[in-house]
Amino acid sequence: MPALLEITGLRTEFRLKTGVLKAVRGVDLTVEAGETLALVGESGCGKSITAASVLRLVPPPGRIVAGSIRFKGEDLLALSEERMREIRGNRIAMVFQDPMTSLNPVFTVGYQVAEGLRIHRGLSGEAAAREAVELLTQVGIPAAKDRVRDYPHQLSGGMRQRVMIAMALACSPELVIADEPTTALDVTIQAQILELLDRLMAQKRMGLILITHNLGIVAERAHRTAIMYAGEIVESAPTAELFATPLHPYTRGLLASLPEFGTPGEKLATFAGGVPDLRGDLAGCPFRERCPIGDDACGRETIEMSEAAPGHLVRCRKVP
Amino acid sequence: MMPLLTAENLVKQYPVRGGMFAEKRILTAVAGVDLELHPGETLGLAGESGCGKSTVARLLTGLIPPTSGSIKYEGRELARMSKAELAQYRKEVQMVFQDPFSSLNPRMRVAEIVGEPLEIHRIGDGDGRRDKVAELLRRVGLSPEHMMRFPHEFSGGQRQRIGIARALAVSPRLIIADEPVSALDLSIQAQIINLLQDVKKDLGLSFLFITHDLSVLRHLSDRVAIMYLGRIVETGSRDQVLNRPLHPYTEALLSAIPSIDPKKRTRHVIAKGELPSPVSPPSGCPFHPRCPYARPVCGEKRPELLEKVPGQRAACHFSEEIFLKEAK
Repeated sequence: MPALLEITGLRTEFRLKTGVLKAVRGVDLTVEAGETLALVGESGCGKSITAASVLRLVPPPGRIVAGSIRFKGEDLLALSEERMREIRGNRIAMVFQDPMTSLNPVFTVGYQVAEGLRIHRGLSGEAAAREAVELLTQVGIPAAKDRVRDYPHQLSGGMRQRVMIAMALACSPELVIADEPTTALDVTIQAQILELLDRLMAQKRMGLILITHNLGIVAERAHRTAIMYAGEIVESAPTAELFATPLHPYTRGLLASLPEFGTPGEKLATFAGGVPDLRGDLAGCPFRERCPIGDDACGRETIEMSEAAPGHLVRCRKVP
Repeated sequence: MMPLLTAENLVKQYPVRGGMFAEKRILTAVAGVDLELHPGETLGLAGESGCGKSTVARLLTGLIPPTSGSIKYEGRELARMSKAELAQYRKEVQMVFQDPFSSLNPRMRVAEIVGEPLEIHRIGDGDGRRDKVAELLRRVGLSPEHMMRFPHEFSGGQRQRIGIARALAVSPRLIIADEPVSALDLSIQAQIINLLQDVKKDLGLSFLFITHDLSVLRHLSDRVAIMYLGRIVETGSRDQVLNRPLHPYTEALLSAIPSIDPKKRTRHVIAKGELPSPVSPPSGCPFHPRCPYARPVCGEKRPELLEKVPGQRAACHFSEEIFLKEAK
């Protein structure tokens, strides 16, 4: 049986005046039903563009130039725009970081949740409205019957994020992509939202791609984790294994720099420098300038993913 | 030893209007905060958004006046300071802001941004200031060659270094830093944390560090204070508060942080519901509607911030019963 989602060789580029920015440089990822895959990296590493590519929502002047994205065996990149619209929001749904900018301020939240039900499931206005109340109750919004008449600005950040999740789940999608779903929220509310997502994913056996830079959330929630750097996946493994035995120097550096692992008052580990310019081609490993173990050859050779342990892939010629 | 900075029963209220014909109501952002900061110490002030921690920072730097209460700097009341004393205070207490993108003037060159405090406080002259700016840039890990550039030419981490250089320009004794690393990427966060620690150690500064990130709080603070809905609900040494909290809100905050280390994962004590509105705070203990241990008295009587064990104070009626039972 084909995987729920299988991305191979994905390349997404932006044609800018100053050159071609290669944001995603050959990404391979697989998500199975019921699985949570965490996609981790720092700003500009291409994680959000990878997600946007799956839904074919890359903002212009960006475009997908190579690769395939198979959803239950069907290549999404080969579909007509009309067929794609039937999948978007229906079989693959997205939860965005900032609910204030992704909810429409001039419609009530009830209307916005019901919209997907009317379009994709063909429900009548009344039936969709009833179902919207049901969904908002499911995601833990108290007195949902009254809240459906509220506009987004009348709700708190945590409540808006719940509305976003209700919208995403409205059509019982098979795959949910959540881009930093709790970054804008306080920790006590974040914990509530993550518990909710976990419960719903398990109940409905949905696949989840969780995009985040919060490694604590990843460690607690994801089955598999992929680390992205400069448009490439540099390491991917079952989550517990990745945190127990990180192999790529970037992953190791990232973990070592966390205050959680530092001794209070002592220096934290850091790596010097910044990410490389993604305009044009990068020869060799994009991390070599900042790498503590890299050498000249790392800048010349094309480095492929290799399997260091069962299911543990790493893109580095120095390990294991 | 006399504290460097003391806040007593600090209150800040704002009038808010519900709508065109609605009655004017009062939003209490800070509802009676007591703080003490000793020379050479780092005090970490933590809490979730809307708890009033940034308002406390702005009150302490004198950017806004308190509604009531007092702030004392080396025993002298801020509200009674002469103009000259106030200018000295503003020189000795500097601020570092969260967002390095909006806190630097985009039309000024780095040399002007970092040199401006010297000009305002009339320290040095042209050449002297130039040398000082060069020295400050080196101090924060930038190069004097960066002097003639504009903020947009720098990354977030570099901009935060510029903000720190500006704060250090007039040789302050106390730095109030409001979420200085929250807007930065992980690998950059560690660099700025290290820099703040370096300057603290080398220059013998005191720090008031405001954050919502408890792992950063643990790393940087000597003492910590936890705020909830305009009040301090718990305070004590770093290890006391973060290893053995005596307030249910601190416990809920600590257990809500997702941890990488499976050994550190405790059972999740989830705070129910959301932060109440500071316009109509709950009666009694402000945390009682969300507290898993709340009893009837919690809704009636507000608990005072009292010393429960030497050095550690908590505002909870049942600290002893909930958290200190096994110790007895």
